[in-house]
Amino acid sequence: MPALPAPTRLQSAVEALNLAWRNRVFYLFVAPFAALTIVFGLWPIALSIQVSLTASASALSPNPTYVGLANYATVLADPIFIASLWRTLWYAALAVAANLAFALGVAILIDSPRLRAGSMFFRLAIFLPVVTPDVAGYVVWRWLYDRSFGAINAAAEQLGLPAFGGLSSVDTVTIAVLIAELWHHAGFYMTIFLANLAMRDRALEEAAAIDGATTWQKWRFIILPQLRPAIVINLVYATVQFLKTFTVVVVMTKGGPAERTNFVSYYAYQLFDQGRYGEATAMASLLFAIVIALSLGAFKLSEGRAPK
Amino acid sequence: MRIARLLGGVFVAAAAAMASPTDVKAQQLVIWHDLGDNGVAMFERAGAEFAKTRPGVSVRSISYPTDQWFGRVISSINTNTAPDLIFNNYERVIRIEQQTGKIMDLRATLASIADKGFLGEDDLRVATFKNKMIILPVQRVQMAFGVRKSWLDKTGEQFPQTWDDVKRISAKFRESDPDGNGRADTFGMALQAAKPRDLIHMLDLFTFGSGLRHTLINPDGKIMIDEPAHAQVLEEFLKTYSSYRFVAPDTINHSFTEMYQVILGSRAGMFRVGDWNVRGWDNANALGGDFVSGPWPKFAANRDNAVVIGGMRGVAVPENSPNRALAVEFAKFLLGKEAQQASLELVGAGVRKDLNVDALSPRQQYFARAQHRLVAYDFPESIHTFYPELEAAFHRKLLAGIAAPPADWKPFIAETAKEMRELAAKLRASN
Repeated sequence: MPALPAPTRLQSAVEALNLAWRNRVFYLFVAPFAALTIVFGLWPIALSIQVSLTASASALSPNPTYVGLANYATVLADPIFIASLWRTLWYAALAVAANLAFALGVAILIDSPRLRAGSMFFRLAIFLPVVTPDVAGYVVWRWLYDRSFGAINAAAEQLGLPAFGGLSSVDTVTIAVLIAELWHHAGFYMTIFLANLAMRDRALEEAAAIDGATTWQKWRFIILPQLRPAIVINLVYATVQFLKTFTVVVVMTKGGPAERTNFVSYYAYQLFDQGRYGEATAMASLLFAIVIALSLGAFKLSEGRAPK
Repeated sequence: MRIARLLGGVFVAAAAAMASPTDVKAQQLVIWHDLGDNGVAMFERAGAEFAKTRPGVSVRSISYPTDQWFGRVISSINTNTAPDLIFNNYERVIRIEQQTGKIMDLRATLASIADKGFLGEDDLRVATFKNKMIILPVQRVQMAFGVRKSWLDKTGEQFPQTWDDVKRISAKFRESDPDGNGRADTFGMALQAAKPRDLIHMLDLFTFGSGLRHTLINPDGKIMIDEPAHAQVLEEFLKTYSSYRFVAPDTINHSFTEMYQVILGSRAGMFRVGDWNVRGWDNANALGGDFVSGPWPKFAANRDNAVVIGGMRGVAVPENSPNRALAVEFAKFLLGKEAQQASLELVGAGVRKDLNVDALSPRQQYFARAQHRLVAYDFPESIHTFYPELEAAFHRKLLAGIAAPPADWKPFIAETAKEMRELAAKLRASN
């Protein structure tokens, strides 16, 4: 059988136009959102990358001086940035693990038939911090941690426990910040897990029970694999969230004590505040690249391991 | 006939109006500052006075939070959308000049002012950056040592004169419940430490207030912190945050906002008082005037202590100011008596010595009359271009020390001095 002749470029272009014309209503509706995404989503990113290639003194002028990758070289040679980057990665890993583990645990408890009566109350109680303005929440946490009049140390004193260093000790500041962030974000991850738990196929669990599976086996081999979509979404979202940790630092610690919470976003902000726009946006661009790479990596990993 | 007369009258009136000298064009000068409502009121009043001799001219001032002020000024100057004038602390205008290079040189403007004898050599020195007069100094920024009057009375103490007095009073303020609420929730002092300028600013006050002339580096580039007199002040300063426990334990994370919360929340008895603070703190909703101001404590018997001049606030004109000539006229006008009186009454500071201070509160008068010796900052950033980076490293080192205090601060200070010398040499070479 003779092979069909390959379509010419002209034919391909005409077909593409025909397809676009057939879907014109769809494109018409999508156009405003696509324009908004480009203007408010992609354009600032492109502009930020452009600024990272210019000399700080001329960065905001109509004719900036381009310095190539000099700002990136400066930033990568800065030991404070390197320390800040490692600290950020470490904190993000810790915060992602803590938030996802906590959210999954709470979701499982709330999903339990034994807790059905108070389910709505607990859902609301844990989700409420998500919709609370973050600055207000972190100000309250700062007061709670205050070593001279905070509730946490007052309670510790009543119970005869040693004082908690909170935000003013290098030994406890990371955990203190992590707890405040967990309070603010975990409700969101829990909601995703709860949605996925509600969608799971319960017949599989019944079948496993008939086959004599233990509770642990049911969770390990039946339920957890079904939670893969929620785990991937939460993992990617939390990774992005905690790599960019900023507000909690501004409100509670200002990068201290002794740089222990000087994460990349805050360090870049400090440089921006000093008018070092080129280096600040170079840092932001590097962080952006890391966030994209880790997010794509997480997606690829989940695709590769998805049940066939 | 009546109609004809009426029409004739209207015609004559219209002709007279057209012939009158209304060629004065309505002009508005815009000035950006960060002085808040008090500053807005000050420029409004100065603008009204200015308009008396410049019919049709009005002045509109806009106050931005300091960090926003920076970004807006830099971007507006760089994009030729600058305001007519900008107003801020000298070192902030330096940063604008460093970023844009478009701040007008006001040397000729100053030379054209006849009545300027009240501006001293120090005032003019801090207004000049790289041989360019970037501001006309309008306000001296004075910072004194403040103490809660009622707490002093309750503990049977007088205003502290020496560092030993401060240490004794601090301990009493912490331990003897000076606010009488029955709880041990008060501290000797309110300081700040979180951001690089916060901690060094506090150290500057203790250093200059004790009569020393340089906090970190002298004009010749010599690191000063391990010189015996400097090391003494630095060691005591660091102990204030650590072993002495004179400040709240969370001070390491405190910036201006938190420091003010500690002061206004009656949690600390000794603090910095800026001339711009007094009007607000006299208010019943703040400290209700329950504080006394004086010079910073004396660290050595042979050295005079002082109130610190933390700089000059002044007015600058961007080279691309839309109404440049008029803006320069208004800048000069801000040194006149009427504008200076408004500045003193509404913001708490001025530079003229012939102002009427009778209507001010005793606490405002303390600054207005400049009753004690004044010592000005040394402004190393105007001499050493690498200074901000050096200072940031110094701040990091000190914060690390406060976070994990050594048993003996002397080796720490010696080590810090060595590191600063090495860094200064490196930065000098790379500049």
